[in-house]
Amino acid sequence: MAETKEFEEKAKKVFSAERKEDIWVLILAAITVILGLTGVITTKTFSSLFF
Amino acid sequence: MTSDTNGGIGKYIPGLILCIILGWLALQWDQSIHKWQKDYQESEKILKAYIKEGKPFLPFVEYRAKSEEKYKEKLVTFERAEIKEKPKKPHLLKEKDYENIVATKEIPFKFRFGERMIQFQLTYVAILLLGGMIIRNTIGLPKVFRPGAVLARPIIKPGIVLLGGYYLWSNLLKVGIFALLLVLIFILGSTVLVSIIGRRMKQDDGLMGVMAAGTGICGVSAAVAVAPVVNAKPRDFFYAVGTILLFGTVALFTFPYIGKALGMSEPVFGAWVGTAILNTAQLVAAATWYGHESLLTANIINIVRVGFIPIVVIFCIWFYVIKPAAAEGRHEKINKWQVVKEKFPLFILGFFAMVTLNELGVFTEEHRTIFGKQFLQIFFAVGFAGVGLNIAFEDLKKAGGKAFVIGFIAATLKAVLSAIVVILIGTEAFKVK
Repeated sequence: MAETKEFEEKAKKVFSAERKEDIWVLILAAITVILGLTGVITTKTFSSLFF
Repeated sequence: MTSDTNGGIGKYIPGLILCIILGWLALQWDQSIHKWQKDYQESEKILKAYIKEGKPFLPFVEYRAKSEEKYKEKLVTFERAEIKEKPKKPHLLKEKDYENIVATKEIPFKFRFGERMIQFQLTYVAILLLGGMIIRNTIGLPKVFRPGAVLARPIIKPGIVLLGGYYLWSNLLKVGIFALLLVLIFILGSTVLVSIIGRRMKQDDGLMGVMAAGTGICGVSAAVAVAPVVNAKPRDFFYAVGTILLFGTVALFTFPYIGKALGMSEPVFGAWVGTAILNTAQLVAAATWYGHESLLTANIINIVRVGFIPIVVIFCIWFYVIKPAAAEGRHEKINKWQVVKEKFPLFILGFFAMVTLNELGVFTEEHRTIFGKQFLQIFFAVGFAGVGLNIAFEDLKKAGGKAFVIGFIAATLKAVLSAIVVILIGTEAFKVK
């Protein structure tokens, strides 16, 4: 019973971590869009990363 | 991201750096083989003109000028609206390679190699997944890299959000109607089916609840969302997750080849994997492996599907908590709004925001290339490195028991039936543009 309770708590914690993860995903995507729209990153940026 | 108090953010850094390095190496490989493939096609064209049509080799300067002239002519025809599609810039060989072909009258080995690799679909996706899996299960992944490798997997999601810049609402609605249909029939259908079969076979409610959500809707995320409400035990949870991951891994490595063997078009394949593969990272990987159009379709189905997680959770609460309570004469209540608020995957709102910005004309063609192709590849490469490094055979062995049989049969049945349905519906319905 105690094991199940502990696991429930863990599952809830994992889900709240997923929620935090989603917020970081949105922030990362927003930064990329802003950099793209302001011209900081262009189509040449990507090819400049490789030989 | 999923920061933990034990060890802080620092413990994620080594694994994350490893995934970034592997991602970069795989993208470097991808860039090279794609360039060599184009070189191969150009070399073949030049040699064909010489061998079959008897045309002499031109000096390099003339070869370049002639190709550019042809392109300009096509561009004028396009501007006059005589042709619909904008011509692509010609791919020209480097002077050294051109001279080499003129001298040897043979296609260089590296160009043939690039062509072969593309033919076998050994792009960055395959390299990262196969390479990561081999590293994890042979030399092993030292513990210091593990937290970061786990954290790298969701880096796929910003790519999914950015891909939104490729769609218009009309595309989304057109494919979305079919996506909704597939989700309702196959995804909710398998959730209900697994629940009913599990109860008939007198399987534990906790285990079958997690399995029903996992095989139906969205793999591990749904299993995590449902676990607390159905009172799943840790063992149940790992059985279910093991089954979901085992099916996903088998599907990931076989579906692209099955799709090719069945002659599926890219949009049809995208619809199939969007319905049949249970885990977001694995389905995105399989679709990207098959082609960009496939990814565009799979992404819509996936967005509709993960949007249904709260509904699956509500169903599981009803089936495993409220219904049995009512049978015992107790009255349990469900706060539906609370469930939707807690379990709704927020990142899909970012995807819809990108679609809206594109609809409003905020993005140019260049922006779409930056977001939906180039940066998408960067995010995907890091994420796929994480996916590959986390395929551990010891985790897959955790799948077991009758629940494994029920889960695996339900997932396989869903894959077979959905393949038939998407093939019958056809390419046009699933084509995004």
